[in-house]
Amino acid sequence: MSPTVLDIADLSSGYGEAIVLRNVSLSIRPGEIFALLGKNGMGKSTLLKTVLGFLPAKRGRIKLFGEDVTALPTHLIARKAIAYTPQEQTLFQDLTVEDNLRLGLRDDRGFAEGLARVSEYFPIVGKRLSQKAGTLSGGEQKMLIVSRALLGSPRLMMIDEISEGLQPSMIQRLTEILLAERKRTGTAIFVVEQNVPFAFSMADRYAVLKIGEIADDGVAGDELAAARVQDQLRV
Amino acid sequence: MADLTTTPATLPRRAFSGRLVPAGSIAGLCIVAVVAGPYFLDSYTVNILVRSFLYAATALTVDILWGYAGILTFGQAAFFGIGAYAAGITFTYMDFSPQTAVLALLAGLAVSAVVAWITGWISFFHRASPLYVAIVTLALPIILVQVLYSGGTFTGSSSGLVGYNTFDLSVEAWFTICGIGLVVLTTAAWFFVNSDFGRLLIAIRENEQRCTYLGINAPRVKILLMVVMAMIASVAGYAYAGYTVVVAPEIGSFVFGTELVMWVALGGRGTLIGPVLGTIAIDVISAYLSGNLPYVWKLIIGSIFVLVIVALPQGIVPVLKTGLRRLWSAATRRDAAPCVAVPALIEAPEGRRAGTGSDAPALNVADLACSYGSLKVLEGVAFKALGSELLGIIGPNGAGKTTLMRCLSDGYERTGGTVAVFGHAIARTPPQGVVGLGIGRSFQTTSLFETLTVAESLRLARYRLDGTRMLSHAPTLALPDSARRVITATGLDRQLAIECRHLSHGMKRALELAMVLALEPSVLLLDEPTAGLTKPERTLIGSILVDLVQREGLCTLIIEHDLDFVREISTRIIVLHQGKVLLDGSVAEVVGSELVRTIYAGGAHQELAP
Amino acid sequence: MTALVLDIVTTAAILFAVASGLLIILGVLKIVNFAHGGFLTIGGYSGLVVTQLGLNAWLAYPAAVVAGIVMGAVVERFVIRPLYDRPLDAILATWGLGIIIGQLITIVFGREIQFVQTPITGATSVFGETYSLYRLFLILAAAAVAGGIAALLNATRLGLEARAVIMNEPLARGLGINSGHVRFVTFCIGAGLASLAGALITPLSSVDPNMGVPWLVNAFMLVLVSSVSLASLAIAALTLGGAQVLVSTFISPVIGGLTIVVLAALLLRIRPAGFGHG
Repeated sequence: MSPTVLDIADLSSGYGEAIVLRNVSLSIRPGEIFALLGKNGMGKSTLLKTVLGFLPAKRGRIKLFGEDVTALPTHLIARKAIAYTPQEQTLFQDLTVEDNLRLGLRDDRGFAEGLARVSEYFPIVGKRLSQKAGTLSGGEQKMLIVSRALLGSPRLMMIDEISEGLQPSMIQRLTEILLAERKRTGTAIFVVEQNVPFAFSMADRYAVLKIGEIADDGVAGDELAAARVQDQLRV
Repeated sequence: MADLTTTPATLPRRAFSGRLVPAGSIAGLCIVAVVAGPYFLDSYTVNILVRSFLYAATALTVDILWGYAGILTFGQAAFFGIGAYAAGITFTYMDFSPQTAVLALLAGLAVSAVVAWITGWISFFHRASPLYVAIVTLALPIILVQVLYSGGTFTGSSSGLVGYNTFDLSVEAWFTICGIGLVVLTTAAWFFVNSDFGRLLIAIRENEQRCTYLGINAPRVKILLMVVMAMIASVAGYAYAGYTVVVAPEIGSFVFGTELVMWVALGGRGTLIGPVLGTIAIDVISAYLSGNLPYVWKLIIGSIFVLVIVALPQGIVPVLKTGLRRLWSAATRRDAAPCVAVPALIEAPEGRRAGTGSDAPALNVADLACSYGSLKVLEGVAFKALGSELLGIIGPNGAGKTTLMRCLSDGYERTGGTVAVFGHAIARTPPQGVVGLGIGRSFQTTSLFETLTVAESLRLARYRLDGTRMLSHAPTLALPDSARRVITATGLDRQLAIECRHLSHGMKRALELAMVLALEPSVLLLDEPTAGLTKPERTLIGSILVDLVQREGLCTLIIEHDLDFVREISTRIIVLHQGKVLLDGSVAEVVGSELVRTIYAGGAHQELAP
Repeated sequence: MTALVLDIVTTAAILFAVASGLLIILGVLKIVNFAHGGFLTIGGYSGLVVTQLGLNAWLAYPAAVVAGIVMGAVVERFVIRPLYDRPLDAILATWGLGIIIGQLITIVFGREIQFVQTPITGATSVFGETYSLYRLFLILAAAAVAGGIAALLNATRLGLEARAVIMNEPLARGLGINSGHVRFVTFCIGAGLASLAGALITPLSSVDPNMGVPWLVNAFMLVLVSSVSLASLAIAALTLGGAQVLVSTFISPVIGGLTIVVLAALLLRIRPAGFGHG
C-alpha cells in the first residue's frame, strides 16, 4: 500500500506564545479529498501554514508521502509535488498572469502543455496572459490561483477557503474541475473551508476544527453529517 | 524580580536609594581616579587620555541615540567638528579672552542645535524608514567637510587652523577637567536612560508605530534628543580645539563619525559604560600601535568590528559583565537581578476627555475609501457612531475590517472620503494627532513593548497627558478608573513589575486594553480584543466593555470573529463585505439576516441553516 | 551648450552604473550594502592589476566583474546571511567590510593614488564640440548595464524568481522558491555590478584605497529616491546628476558635489516615494 499523503500527528502550533492549534492529528490517503471545516479564527489557516513550514510546530510531527517534513524549510516542503493556494496574498499582483503561472512550476519545462490543459478549464486564463494579475476581478484571480496549482499536476493540493466570495455557479464549476483533476492524476486534495455544501459536494472525509482542536470528524457524503457540521459552523 | 507581595508604595523609595548609592560611589571612585591619574601615568598616556575622554563623551551621545533610542547616527562627528571649529575660528580671528571663550562655546552650541534640528526634521517624520536617518547623518559630516574645504583661508581649508591662543592650562589640568566632565556626563546619562523618559526612548526604539498610537509624538522626541546630543558633542569638540590647539576637517569627517559608531558597537551599545571604556581603550591602544602597524591595526579593528556585529551584537562589555555577574553571584550566593521600582497607582483627575459636551456625533465616516494600487480594500464606507454605542464590526476575512480601523486612526491611510471625530475632521493627521482628537486604538496582534514592565507600559500610555521625568522615576502612576478596573479585575495590578514578554497571552490582551483606556479616549477602536482568550476571560473583558459604554458613555467600535460575543455585548452591528457596508442595524436585524448568514457560511444552503 | 548636455548625460550614465548594484541588493535583500564603496574600489584595482600586468585594457571589465562576484559570494555567505533579520546591523557589518577591503588594498597596493590605462583614448567631435570618447563610451556601458539587468530580471527564470521574492517573499517560498538562493545570487550580481562600475569610473580619475566612499553616499541617495525601480533610477540619475553638473558649472564644484545629497534628502522629506510611484 502506498504511504499516506499527509500524516499529521499530535500537532500544536501558534504565533509567538499564543497557541492556536492543540494536539491535532489527521491523515490524508492518496487520491482522497479531505475537508477541514471551521469558523474564522479556529486555526484552519494556521494548520496549513504549519504544514508548509511557515510556522514552526511547537509539538508533534508532519509527514508528507511518508517523509518527516516537520523541520524542513518552506521551499523544500513546497517542492514535494504539492500545490498550496493560500487564503490571502494569493498572487503576485504586479506580475503578469503568465509570470504568475510560471511560478507554479519549478522550471519552464512542461509549461506549454500545462497551460493548454488549464486553459481548457479556464479559457479566460489563457487569453489574459500578459495582463497584470492585480487587475483581474476577484473571480478571475481565483481561477488563476487554481490554474497555478493545477499546472504542475501535484500529488497533493492544499486549498485554503477558495470558495469565499465566489458565486454559486463558479463554485459548482470549481468542484467539477477539482474532481476531474483528481480522476486524471489521482491527486489528493486538502480543502479548508467554511462553506459546508461546497466541501461536502466533493470530500470523502472531513474534520471540524474548533478553537484549535478537532471537534468532530467522519466520512462525508451523508446528509446527517452535513447538517451536523453546518450546525457547528452556523452564525 | 521584585517582591510582588510588598505594598507597592514602599518599593519605589527602596529602589531609588538602592540605585543611588552604588551609582554615586562608582562615580566618586572614578573622580578620585581622574584626579590622581596624572601622578601615576606617564605624560604621553595622560596626553592621549585627554583626547580619549573627549572622544568617549561623544561616543556616549552616539550610544544614547543608537543604543537606547535606536537612531543609528554617523553624524555626531559633525557636531564635534562644529564645536571645535567654533573655538578654532573664534580664537583665530578674535583672539582668546574669557569673553570670546564663552562666545565660541555658545556659537558652537547654537550652530549644532540648529543643524541637528534640521537633520532631525529631514530624518524623522511619520513613516520614515529607520534606515533613512543613517544615510542623512552619514551625509552630514561629508557636507560639513565640503563646507570647510570651500571656506578657503577662513577655515584653513584642508589643513585647518593651528596655533591660535587658547586656555592657559597644563595637560594635567585638562586631564582632570575632562575626566571629571566625562564622569559627570556618564553619571547623568545613566540617570537619564534609567528614568521614565529613558523607558520612553526604549519604547520608541522597540515599536515606534505603537508609540504614535499612544499619542506620543515620536518624531519630535527624537528630534529633541538629537539636538541635545548634538550640543553635548559640540562641547566635547570645543574642549578638543581648546586642548589640542588645532582644528582640521578630519575631526568633523564621516570617518570619525563611523569610528564613533564602531567604538560604541565594540564596547556594547545601550550600556553607556561599554562605549566609554571601549572608546578609551581603543583610542589609547591605537595611539601606541598605529605608529608601528598603521594599516594592520585598522584592519584588525575592522575585522573585530565585523565579527562583533555578526556574532556578539551586544558588544564586548556586556559579555564581560555577564561573566563577572555570574562569578559575583556564585561567590555571594545573592541574586544579582536589579531591583525594579513599582509605582503606586493613583486616580487620574477626571474631565480631560476630548469631545465632551460636543453635539456632533462621536464618529462620522463618509464615503471612506482605501486602496493599495489596483486593490480596493474599502469603498464608499459611511456610518455614524454616537457616545454610549457599542458597535460590533463583523465580516468575513478580507472584508476590510482592520483596514477600516487603520483609516480611522491614521489620517494618512485612507485614499478617499472623510472621518470626523466630534465634528473635527482627521484630515491628514498622523496617529499621535488622532489620539489627541479622542481616538484610542488597540491592535489585533498584541503589539506590546517586550522589555518594558507592565507599569512602564501603562506610564507610556500616560505620557501624552502627564508628561514624564527626565532623570528619575515618578513614585506614582495616575490611571483613569476604567484602566484601573481592567488591571485589578485581571490581576495585572499584582504584576506591575513583570516585563511584558513574560505575561500570559490573556494578560497581554488585558494590558493592551488597559493601555488604550489609560489614554482616556472618547472613541475606542478595538481590533479583536478577545482573540485567543479563554471563555471566562472573554466574559470578563465583555462585561468590562459593556460597563464602560454604559457608565462613561464611551463610543466603542469592536472587530470580532466570535459572533456570539458580538451579539452579547453590541448595541448595533455593521457588516462589512468586500470593502463595503453590507448591513448596518440592530443586533436582532443582523443576526436574523439571511444575507449575513449566506456570506458568513460562504453560500450555505437554506435548508441546512437552523 | 552641447558640452553641458553631454556632461549631464555622461554624469547620469556614470551615476546609474554606480548605483545599479546597490539598487538590486536593496530591492531583493532589503539590505543597505555599505560595502558598496569597497566593491567599487575592488573594481578600480582590478583595472590597476590589468594595467600593471600589461594586459589589454578591455580585460579590466571582466576581471572586475569576476573579482566582485567572488568577493560578493564570500561576503554574503559569512556576513550578510546571519544579518537578514537585523538590517541596521547589516549596515554596520557591511561598513566594517568596506574598511577591511580598504585596508587590505592599502597593504597590498600602497596608499598612494595610481593611474590605470584607458581602453579608449582621445576625443571626437559631437555637433562641433570636442568631447572625450571615453565619457561617450560610458553612456553605452550604462545602457548595457541597464539592458543586462532588465534582461536578467524579465527574461530569465532567476529574474522571475527574484521579482517574486521582491514582491511577496512568503508566497514565493510557498511556491517552492529558495529565497536564500535568490538572495545569494542577487548579492553576487550586485557586487559584480559595483565592481564593474568601479572599473568603469577609474580611467576618469585614478585609484586610491578610499575611492569608493564618495560614491557611496550619492549612490545611496539615488537608490532611495528611486524606490527600488530601474526606470526611476535612470530618471533620478538624469535629474539629480543634471542638477549636480549645472551647480558645479555655474556655481561651484564644491557645492556641486553636495547637490545630489541635499536635493535627494529634501525630495524624500517632501515626497517619501521619491521618483517612484506612490
